[in-house]
Amino acid sequence: MRDMLQRLQTISEELEDYEPELYGDEYDVDKGTLSQQAVMFENTSPIDDILKEAHSISKEISLLHLEVERLTINNERFGTSVRRLTLLKKDSDSIARGIQQRGGALHIRLQALGQESGQLEEREGPNSAVSRIARAQHDTLSHLFRKAMNDYNEAEEMQRSACRRRIKRQASIIGTEITDEQLDGMVDKGGEGWTELSQSLQGARSSRWAMCEIKGRHKELVELEVRLKEVHDLFLDMAVLVEEQSSKVNNIEANVCGTQEYTEKINVNVKRALQYKRKNPCQQCCPCLPCWNQNRLL
Amino acid sequence: QIWVCLKKVPEILNGVIKSVKKEGEWKVLIVDHMSMRILSSCCKMSDILAEGVTIVEDINKRREPISSLEAIYLISPVEKSVRALIDDFKDAAFTYKAAHIFFTDTCPDGLFAEIGRSRVAKVVKTLKEINVAFLPYESQVFSLDDPNSLYSFYSSKPNEGKEKMIETLAEQIATLCDTLKEYPAIRYRKYEKENARLADEVYQRLTAHKADNPTMGEGADKARSQLLIVDRGFDPISPILHELTFQAMAYDLLDIKQDIYSYQSTGIGNSNDREVLLDEDDELWVALRHMHIADVTKKVTELLQTFCQSKRMNTDNANIKDLSQMLKKMPQYQKELSMYSTHLHLAGACMKTYKASVDKLCEVEQDLAMGENEEGEPLKDAMKSIVPVLLDNEIKAYDKIRIILLYIFHMKKGIGEENLAKLIQHANIMADSNIINNLQNLGCNIIAGVDRKQRTESTYQLSRWVPIIKDVMENAIEDKLDRKQWPFISDPAPINTTQTAVSARFGHWHKNKSPTEYRSGPRLIIFVIGGLSHSEMRSAYEVTRATDGKWEVLIGSSHILTPTSFLNDLKSLDQVPNPDC
Repeated sequence: MRDMLQRLQTISEELEDYEPELYGDEYDVDKGTLSQQAVMFENTSPIDDILKEAHSISKEISLLHLEVERLTINNERFGTSVRRLTLLKKDSDSIARGIQQRGGALHIRLQALGQESGQLEEREGPNSAVSRIARAQHDTLSHLFRKAMNDYNEAEEMQRSACRRRIKRQASIIGTEITDEQLDGMVDKGGEGWTELSQSLQGARSSRWAMCEIKGRHKELVELEVRLKEVHDLFLDMAVLVEEQSSKVNNIEANVCGTQEYTEKINVNVKRALQYKRKNPCQQCCPCLPCWNQNRLL
Repeated sequence: QIWVCLKKVPEILNGVIKSVKKEGEWKVLIVDHMSMRILSSCCKMSDILAEGVTIVEDINKRREPISSLEAIYLISPVEKSVRALIDDFKDAAFTYKAAHIFFTDTCPDGLFAEIGRSRVAKVVKTLKEINVAFLPYESQVFSLDDPNSLYSFYSSKPNEGKEKMIETLAEQIATLCDTLKEYPAIRYRKYEKENARLADEVYQRLTAHKADNPTMGEGADKARSQLLIVDRGFDPISPILHELTFQAMAYDLLDIKQDIYSYQSTGIGNSNDREVLLDEDDELWVALRHMHIADVTKKVTELLQTFCQSKRMNTDNANIKDLSQMLKKMPQYQKELSMYSTHLHLAGACMKTYKASVDKLCEVEQDLAMGENEEGEPLKDAMKSIVPVLLDNEIKAYDKIRIILLYIFHMKKGIGEENLAKLIQHANIMADSNIINNLQNLGCNIIAGVDRKQRTESTYQLSRWVPIIKDVMENAIEDKLDRKQWPFISDPAPINTTQTAVSARFGHWHKNKSPTEYRSGPRLIIFVIGGLSHSEMRSAYEVTRATDGKWEVLIGSSHILTPTSFLNDLKSLDQVPNPDC
């Protein structure tokens, strides 16, 4: 990569020494005042609003990510920690519920952003900068949100597998084999499932600790399944949205090629036309000429 | 010494945008046609939005002023784009607040001075040349995005733009080497004069780049890197054969435009239209694309079964294609499920088209291309095998032309005009017959005299043909490529074939990286003038794998072609260029 800024500025400065009158006042980008045109002034604020909301949503998604990481780390502690399992379990549950809450709230905000984007398209036209900005932010943020929720799902899945493995291992330690189907059945039946299991294990070589373990894991699995059921609708909503979107939505070329030439709004054009008319040299020098008479009709 | 491969180019481009990112501030990104193609092949909207870009604009379209935001101009240093840039800051009211300019490659002095003289110089905060003027199409395939290249090189009509085009291509290839930090020895296939011309131009550009970037070619192994320039005419068979590997077959038989595969499938919503991008983000595509079609469906089905089992989803075989049930039960796996669905549909579509007409053609084609049947017996009466095909009205014109062309190549002494006319008549392809004549523009010689390698690996009967470039790749790597047929532009560094691949001075910093990231071995870069076929792309991967990672083979061209697009290109060779192109 070659930096050419210095070179350019040298050329520019040389020219200034040569023909200073062409440049007038120094224009400092950061301090310069911008001329206010009717069209631009209208659009600056909506763009700022969209970007502010987008920025805020993006921060929320980052926080969601952090919570998912916290959940993963906490789950990993099950295998290694000497802390009381019940406490660890409680942490996982509360973190996971927190994630679901955040997720739900984010989902609503994203839907609102999507609606806002749709309204902007209707009001300002789909080609205007503000509606394209809104659309791009909405699409990207939805994409990031989905990724965060998928990571959450992944964390729950891993925990589910880990729990199932531990139950089976504990069961085999006390001399009983539990198959996947049996485990499924147990979990589906919730608390009753545990009662059934503990009865069936009465005869086996019992170990209070192992039974405690199994009971704890079973309870956790049940809670996990409940959580996943609760978040199922959210995933379904997101999936429908993805299906409706074409894969082109995230494609840069499709975005660029799809935009049309900018046409300024009508009132600004008329303003300009009036300005040109006033400055028309024909008018200023020779008001009698027929060309001026034609222009009067403007 | 950082190893740069084609896979890293997206990072480089992202890095460019990231370098001017300011927390809390958004920017407008402005591109021209070329830079948009490059960027789009590497990055997604979500990538650039993550680096602070909030809207992407086409520099050549009239744009809405957004004076509250600064603009990043990622453009090629050509007159049209530079004018548009200058225009943005011409009037009293600037279109954007400031400008960060990134040129895809070296900006000519004249244009540079113009920018210096304009008001842009007052608002510019960044100005760099990034030296990325090519598309990293795949991890080992690059494209220069010029589909008119075949016409430009081989048209029988006078073409004023040819010189300029050769310079542009050469510069693009030089930026490829610059980015990869390679300074390869340049060789070209002697037979065609354009090869030498381009090779020479590349050498000049490469040397100019090295003057600014001395790290190019640094490293003991890099001295062995080679860049080969070869013309399309050197292997006209590979682009017209019906291939039965997944990627080649799909692009040949189905209508895949801009790498997007469209199909219908019931889902959970109302929409049944699916559009899927076939690129390296799709891991399943990467795993399947070079596989023979017979293995593809089996493999995908296997993988889907495994996936469903691991997620404890009940699947009857009947339901595998019915995604909607699975999706309803487990919508969080939409990405994975739709990936499996896409490839099942794609493989199914290939097989359907194949069984409809292509299966009759493959055996004939392979026999003609190989000059022998599957038992290894030389073909005795080629005419007998092609006539039924030519007379068959169910077979499309272009498929018949492909057969005729293969027949002509098979007849090493050429084919008489009368016989050719008869064939064309039997086939009823008068309208497209100039394709056959135009092939001569490529200097297509008969393949007689080219020694093909004897290959012992077992292959499917209908996939016996091996692209000629694969022989060339292997020979180049083993330093067996004939120097008379493939001369060097300049005297190469002496090649010590006993050198081991990984340089000892690399130390330990690379130990945590995956093998592809720190490999420092030599590269073989191949540039085909006039278009690249999928089977040749596949060869690059196969040969690389066979070296066990010691060499990396990259292959590229002005564009990737399909048999249909190749025949279309040939068709237009004797026509006046379309002024809109």
